Amino acid sequence: MERREFLKKSGVLLAGTACACALPLLPAAAKSINVDSENTAGKKWGMVIDLNKCAKDCNACLDACRKENNVAMHGDKRWDIHLIRKVTLKRKHPAESPEISVPLLCNHCERPPCAQACPVKATYKREDGIVIVDHHRCIGCRYCMISCPYNARFFNYRENHEWPNKDNTRSSHGVPESCNFCAHRLDKGKKPACVEACEEINAKALIFGDLNDPGSDVSKVIAGNHVRGIREDFGTKPKVLYIGL
Amino acid sequence: METDFETIEGKSTQFSVLLAILAVLALAGLYATYRMYVEGIYLSGMTNRIPWGLQVILAVFYIGLSAGSLVISSLYAIFGKKEYKPFARISVFLAFLFLVAALLSIISDWGRPDRIFEPFYHLNPLSMLSINPFLYNVYMLICLVYLWAMFKEKEKLVKIIAPIAVIWAIGVHSGTGAIFGFVPRELYQSALLPPSFIAAALSSGTALMILVLLLLFKVTRRPLDENLVVRLGKLLAIFIVIVMYFVFVENAYRLYMPVSHEAGMYFLFGGFHSWVFWGGLIILGSIVPAVILFNPATVKRIPWIVVSCVLVVFGVLCERYIIVIPGQTHAPDLFPNMVVVSSALAEGYVSYSISFYEVLQALGVVGIIGFAFVLGLKLFKMMPTEAKVLKESDSVKSPSEEKELEKQTVAS
Amino acid sequence: MAAQNNNMEFIIMIITAVILLIPLGYGVVSLASSNDTQPFIEKPDEKYDKCVRDTEYMRLNHMDLLKEIRDDAMRRGKRGEITLNDCRKCHTSRERFCDKCHNVVNAQLDCYGCHYFPK
Repeated sequence: MERREFLKKSGVLLAGTACACALPLLPAAAKSINVDSENTAGKKWGMVIDLNKCAKDCNACLDACRKENNVAMHGDKRWDIHLIRKVTLKRKHPAESPEISVPLLCNHCERPPCAQACPVKATYKREDGIVIVDHHRCIGCRYCMISCPYNARFFNYRENHEWPNKDNTRSSHGVPESCNFCAHRLDKGKKPACVEACEEINAKALIFGDLNDPGSDVSKVIAGNHVRGIREDFGTKPKVLYIGL
Repeated sequence: METDFETIEGKSTQFSVLLAILAVLALAGLYATYRMYVEGIYLSGMTNRIPWGLQVILAVFYIGLSAGSLVISSLYAIFGKKEYKPFARISVFLAFLFLVAALLSIISDWGRPDRIFEPFYHLNPLSMLSINPFLYNVYMLICLVYLWAMFKEKEKLVKIIAPIAVIWAIGVHSGTGAIFGFVPRELYQSALLPPSFIAAALSSGTALMILVLLLLFKVTRRPLDENLVVRLGKLLAIFIVIVMYFVFVENAYRLYMPVSHEAGMYFLFGGFHSWVFWGGLIILGSIVPAVILFNPATVKRIPWIVVSCVLVVFGVLCERYIIVIPGQTHAPDLFPNMVVVSSALAEGYVSYSISFYEVLQALGVVGIIGFAFVLGLKLFKMMPTEAKVLKESDSVKSPSEEKELEKQTVAS
Repeated sequence: MAAQNNNMEFIIMIITAVILLIPLGYGVVSLASSNDTQPFIEKPDEKYDKCVRDTEYMRLNHMDLLKEIRDDAMRRGKRGEITLNDCRKCHTSRERFCDKCHNVVNAQLDCYGCHYFPK
């Protein structure tokens, strides 16, 4: 008898607990992780990388990024930070295929797993599609790095002593970093540093623009070429697309 | 007969030496954490490819131990098995301390531990790491109320709070499993992780509780009925089988599906973690203790039970290792039709090595928790005078006795 | 036994009290040891004749203004006319301006790990 009453009670408690667990989900329905951005309202930034035009020995975009964003280079593969990096790839079949050089950066996914994972909303997706880290709030738990399937996130394991661009911030240690399409430049109407560098040397392998605008460079390139993102089967919907991958 | 609880004496030199050793460990851990806070966590063995290391493994392990210890108290509070009442207080106290240990491990691992309050005012309801602190904090609160109710001998409150605590513990474990299960990496993403976390928690927690109880009763020279330990040992055997079942299903599924076959092979036969898996979890952590505990000849002998408990705790620690680490060393293949010739980042399979400072941090957490536990035993009436198998007629108690006990607790 | 217990409790209470009082003591000591308890703020270098808000407002609310600017830029993408970089045009040194008061009241800033501001 006592046990039955007890089971009844615990059933009620179970339901109560379930409700309590669901409580934090309530604000989720009301508020998404998107935040407005006035200067770039209505836009959806995206990038196309034309691998046919990207030279193997050219590092212009990498250097420009390092200089613009004060990215640390410690000379150790374990801790180096690359907001944009290059990998050299070779097709498996046929065996004697040429090597191609592929710039990799944050894919600015439409469904960013890193922003879902962040416990304090320090990583979030702006309305114009940029995935960005708020270093003022980040606690350094590195769950975003675990969640990112593209290895596009890097952690400031040590203090950075370089500071070439004094007008921009540099990262102190203890917070992660990834490409943010140079959001500070976009908000002022400029293009990202890597794209600018690529245009300067007249390679034009990086094409950047508004995916919502059918007249923009990037939309035209997408319309006229076969483009694809990296591992689109993850379902994250990357907004950095490649020609010739 | 009524169970009497008392504090331990704690006057001997050994007691002071033990406290001193634990305090030194705690200070060493604090020193390591301070160094990492000031200089950056490159002092740990973590890299850009392995952002989670020893502290996360141990945090998950501690959370498991926490729920496991709570189960022992639920045997008394929920299932009405009065013979386990002597262990109830210690087990809830340990459950609380292990959760504190888990949180300390995680926070000492953060890049910015000074921003400890950020998660409280910026809740992200989509994040498992945001839902979990909520579960942990409420769980700690429940443990404290539970403990208080038991010290005050408020039987009714205990009866109410015990099932809440157990249900909440299940939530805590599902949530912790979801931290890993809900991540788009081939060796992490799995709906089976939350339930298998619960199973591993039950087995490791029960095993550790048996060890702690045997040690405590031996050191303080109190009579302990061996039949109680044997019963717990038989319970442990069932938990081991459940853990093995989950491990089997998980790996069979991975190997069977073409999409994860390669990852499954890497997990089972791909390097150091495979040795941890086969040697640590399967052979030492599961098969050997299962054989001992299912064999009627050995399960009655205390030394055998101790051996199997040590092996189970070690096995679950290994299980935590192979949950956290291989998922990171095996990154998703970004270019399935290509070979990576060169890269600025370490691509492909990488390895993780534990650094000296990480070990110091881990020892520090052990020191803090051990210190609190030993001191708690001395300050609060936690140790039962004796523990034995009861007969039905023993379980009635007089109101005057109850009052007396309450007074004593207040006085302490 | 009981006496022993009381002793132990007493020691623990003392230790807890000391730990709790460390921040307060630290503040008192640093305030007493600093020379200028009433810091005199210099006039900024006169490239511009006035600040973005009047002096009285800035004295009380500069931190709120800075946080507002920060949140606008960081979380809403609004990068207006004022930035922290603009502050350093007149307030050319953090030692002469920010640190002077902040050291006295012991409110440590961690802006300069990431934002450039000359010493």
